[in-house]
Amino acid sequence: MKPADKKAYDKDYAQAKKTGKPFFPYAIYKDTIIAGLTVIATIILAITVRAEVGEPVNPATTDFVPRPEWYFYFAFELLKIFKNQDALTPVIMATFMVPNIMIILLVVWPFIDRGPERRIWKRPFALGMTVIVTGLLCYLTWMGANSPAGVASQGLPLSGLDEQATKGMDVYMANGCGSCHMVAGVGAPGPGPDLTNEGAKGWDNAKMIAWFKAPKAPMPSYASLPPEDLENLATFVNGLGTKYK
Amino acid sequence: MTTKDIGPKNPVQKGADATIDFVDERSGVKTGTRWFLFRNIPEGTSWFQTLGFTAMVVFGMQAITGIILAMYYVPDTQGGAYKSIEYITNEVTWGWLVRGMHKWGASVMIIVVFLHMARVFIWGAYKYPRELTWVTGAMLLLLTMFMGLTGYLLVWDQKAYWATVVAVNIFASAPILGPYIGDILRAGPEFGPATLSRFYSIHMLVIPGAIATFIGLHLYFIVRLGISEPPWSKRRLRIERDEEDARRAAAREKAKALPGSVNYPASWPVEAEEATR
Ligand code: HEM
Repeated sequence: MKPADKKAYDKDYAQAKKTGKPFFPYAIYKDTIIAGLTVIATIILAITVRAEVGEPVNPATTDFVPRPEWYFYFAFELLKIFKNQDALTPVIMATFMVPNIMIILLVVWPFIDRGPERRIWKRPFALGMTVIVTGLLCYLTWMGANSPAGVASQGLPLSGLDEQATKGMDVYMANGCGSCHMVAGVGAPGPGPDLTNEGAKGWDNAKMIAWFKAPKAPMPSYASLPPEDLENLATFVNGLGTKYK
Repeated sequence: MTTKDIGPKNPVQKGADATIDFVDERSGVKTGTRWFLFRNIPEGTSWFQTLGFTAMVVFGMQAITGIILAMYYVPDTQGGAYKSIEYITNEVTWGWLVRGMHKWGASVMIIVVFLHMARVFIWGAYKYPRELTWVTGAMLLLLTMFMGLTGYLLVWDQKAYWATVVAVNIFASAPILGPYIGDILRAGPEFGPATLSRFYSIHMLVIPGAIATFIGLHLYFIVRLGISEPPWSKRRLRIERDEEDARRAAAREKAKALPGSVNYPASWPVEAEEATR
């Protein structure tokens, strides 16, 4: 805003204040009503939809969908959007670039949009941002709410499994890998990449086990699995799409 | 017939007045409260301007229910945390209600804060002179989200545990500072007992302290600068209409002065509008 605009605003606001009304009780009564209704709504929610206690933690199995609270679904979905076989750049986009750009934009916004106009219909850019950001957040949250949960119970439609690979598949199922990865169309479509053709990469078991122990975020580490399970799991995953289809 | 003492006869009231005067003389609370409560705000402030106050009240509710939960909660990874949550939910009188309010309160607070921000954004209320009010507000939004993240783990059930492992991995994957942030959040390279204690203290001491501080700053700016007027308040609309009228009148004068525009229905727009008023 130019100095003249600032002065004009100050003058206008002083005028508004002079012809205004006292905060108490004129504004505080509205505040009290809305805040009171909000607290009552919370109590009603607490009574009707009770907070539950889930399964106790067992770090040895991830037979579980790592699901955040609904207000982080959008971040979770972002991961799926940027997922890719070569996970580095896209994941950094989803976990680092996009969120940080959004946060910086949020904080410095008043220093970007400095014009004197306050009526929303005369600020097309701000109006566009409102619509796009709100729409995107709602859409991603909705996607997150409807994303398939773990599908471990269904089994995988694969053939050609030898004994070791069958054991490996059991490990895969028991540890909820399918809640982030898809194999032959079964499992969640992200945040992890589709593993149907993972074997085509030609990794050996040692390399794969090293990955299980220290994977790139957001995949959790499986270092606590017994070495035998890791070996079987690596055999299974390294044969996907080549030996086991 | 002399009239003597004209103050209240009731000694209790006398004492109370004297006490208030004593405190006011030294602290200025009376003056301060009066200044705070009876300051003028623009006429026509809207219902949308109640959302900030509502966020504050919900934060207060979270603080109270949180303190009650902390009386029973044990941050112990060997089953203690989980059992204490079970105990609160199933045994403690009204425990299920307190926990339910705290849990739902988190979602409600996020929604209310977001709506508050949306109203500030749409109204352009972050513009001069309220830029710093917005910046402190943005901090409050981030801190509120962080409250949700750290609180989720405390239940120590499978869903929360693995979701938090993934979330912390995401922080740790950031370039340069990421690994350090990961270590700080986990209290080491691995998830374990120290992680839970750390999340507990972040959730109930660090972030609430920061939120209280930023609410204080936020309120200071709000009271100092005054709450903004709706950009479409009656007063503003009146002014805009007057300005528009003046502009039209000027245009008309100009049109009259121009040769060849005698047939121009000069007085039409303003008169038609006046008739509809
Ligand atoms: C815990 C979160 C928050 C609390 C307790 C809070 C509290 C308040 C209160 C009580 C007001 C007075 C007017 C009203 O109620 O609308 C206010 C105004 C304001 N808030 Fe917040 N707020 C929070 C979050 C935010 C956020 C996330 C933003 C934006 C990023 C923000 C930006 C502002 C601005 C710019 C004003 C001045 C608006 C005006 O004068 O019209 N606040 N806030």
